[in-house]
Amino acid sequence: MKRVVAITCVTLTLIALPLFADEPAKTDQTPPTATEEQQTPVEQTPAEPTTEEVAGKVDSLTEAFTEMKNVVDGLNRMKLSGYIQAQYVNDETSVNSLSGPTATRNKDQFSIRRGRVKFTYQFAPTSRFVIQPDITTSGVVLKDGYVEFTEPWTPWHHTLTAGQFNWPFGFEIGYSSSDREMPERSRVIRTLFPGERDRGIQFSGLGMADRFNYKVGVVNGTGTAQSFDFNKRKDIVGRVGGSFGPLDLGVSLYRGAELVSVAPAAAGREFDKEREGIDFQYVTPVPGLGVRGEFIRGKQPPATGAAAASALSADVEGYYFYLIQNLGTQHQFVVRYDSYDPDSGNDLPNVIGNAKVGTLGGSYIFHWDANSKVMVAYEKSKTSGFTDPDDNIFTLRYQYKF
Amino acid sequence: MKKTLTALLVSASVAVSAFAAKPVTVKGSDTMVIMNAKLAEAFMNRNPGAQIQVTGGGSGVGLAALINGTTDIAASSRPIKTSEIDKLKARFATRGVGIPIARDGLAVYVNSVNPVQELSLQQLMDIYTGRLTNWKQVGGKDAPIILYSRENSSGTYTYFKDNVLKGKDYSPRAQTLQGTAAVVNAVSKDPNGIGYGGAAYAKGVKFVKVKKDDKSQAYTPSLETVRSGEYPISRYLFLYLRANPSGDAKKFIDWSLTPEGQDIVTKVGYFPVK
Repeated sequence: MKRVVAITCVTLTLIALPLFADEPAKTDQTPPTATEEQQTPVEQTPAEPTTEEVAGKVDSLTEAFTEMKNVVDGLNRMKLSGYIQAQYVNDETSVNSLSGPTATRNKDQFSIRRGRVKFTYQFAPTSRFVIQPDITTSGVVLKDGYVEFTEPWTPWHHTLTAGQFNWPFGFEIGYSSSDREMPERSRVIRTLFPGERDRGIQFSGLGMADRFNYKVGVVNGTGTAQSFDFNKRKDIVGRVGGSFGPLDLGVSLYRGAELVSVAPAAAGREFDKEREGIDFQYVTPVPGLGVRGEFIRGKQPPATGAAAASALSADVEGYYFYLIQNLGTQHQFVVRYDSYDPDSGNDLPNVIGNAKVGTLGGSYIFHWDANSKVMVAYEKSKTSGFTDPDDNIFTLRYQYKF
Repeated sequence: MKKTLTALLVSASVAVSAFAAKPVTVKGSDTMVIMNAKLAEAFMNRNPGAQIQVTGGGSGVGLAALINGTTDIAASSRPIKTSEIDKLKARFATRGVGIPIARDGLAVYVNSVNPVQELSLQQLMDIYTGRLTNWKQVGGKDAPIILYSRENSSGTYTYFKDNVLKGKDYSPRAQTLQGTAAVVNAVSKDPNGIGYGGAAYAKGVKFVKVKKDDKSQAYTPSLETVRSGEYPISRYLFLYLRANPSGDAKKFIDWSLTPEGQDIVTKVGYFPVK
């Protein structure tokens, strides 16, 4: 696209310059005076342009080209990318409903799950501007918005990121939804890291022959659903990763607190918010077969409105495993099992909302071309200790990415 | 029933022939595009059934195509980056396979009337980062140094930046041109110009001898100096695949590494790896 713009601009310049150069000739067409008539021969051959005239035209052309090049160089520094996911979902929990809470609303529908447009401007390798809204039928939401500074003096190229960005924890949070092999993230991630992003600052780096990487951030801890932070205390989150040939390993930690409104304490009370995680990604010796997994445990604050007397940060844990088999360049077959226990310490009331849920899912992805792919996925969930609610989900999704 | 069977057989044979005729695509480095095209041409002459399609675009473009599955082989004049390996791992559960196909001495060119004969790596870094701006600062005449460089999707750009500029940024005055041939062309017409690129393209320009430091001897890129490591800016040229090569891709790469294939590499102006 930029090339087309550049070529068009240069072509227009090349066309325009001779036109401008011809303009003075029009003044030569004014009727000559009588004296001039006498001195001018009847048949006048056009004078050969002098070297200076040619040089002048070349200079003009060069100047115009340089200006044009500056414009094109400026455009080159701006990168536009994005993707759109159009889908049909059949969810067993759906009911016919004209209103009511989201949980009981009809979900069997066509929708635009994600409509991302990412703008990146990079004048120099040491700094970068990124903003990414998500534009869907539900509205426009800011997903990423940050500025990055990268130091050029060490091989680690330590980078400071400030703004709104992914929590630097584990693998699946930072793995793009456009690349993920199942429609949604695992339940443990969706529950403990809703929205996958927060606001704050982050330091990151990659070094030791690109074998080790780290990310550590100081964040509000409220995610992106709220426009401000409720408590004065800031949360710390980070991940250290290593690459060992076909195996990548990561260890993550989150330490923070959340101010929760518990009845009847109107001012709210702070509860521990902790997570520890380990993740791995393995390229197996079987051609095209990859395995990845993640285990997370921690403490999750109670929901807003919990009774003050019994409110506590519950022990939670969850994990997921993916098996991804590629066949050729176009076909992917995926199996995922994920589990989430919101009360691994058995401290909470024995109700279905606190029960452990395991979900077995599978998908087939057909990569139509470099930009588009079709995914068919089915997920079957099982709730431990209770009559299993009908909450299986079928998804058919078409994605275009540029 | 017979009609159905016939239709099925015809469809199957068309499908099989279409599958058999599928060309092996090689996409990427502009530095390597002439060499790869000549290798492909010679290979196809010897193997009439095989089809090898070669296109350029830059090493980054070729590796991106390898990652999104739109090329069989990526030609790259730089080693694959960690971030690119990560993408291959995530998308195809592979770390990729890189095969050095040739060796290149990255030449530094000046105009044939330029009196400067040699430059050290430090001087080259200072010139291309904008610290030195006049030829008289490196023993030349009193004239501004005009920098010609490659676009940032080029492996040559990345290699020069990593190994000569030590990761520092190019001067904003550097004019970026698409393809080494364009750099050579610009320098051949500009008495104050300096450029860099594959030695194979250096026609109508003068090689500047390059030395590691002020105390070292300066060398031009040649088979001997590149092989011995005396020429300080040399690199491997790679063919990358998602997995170990098979079929026509394997035959093509194997043949490119034979003395016959490496002879073409040499004729194009690069240096053999075997």
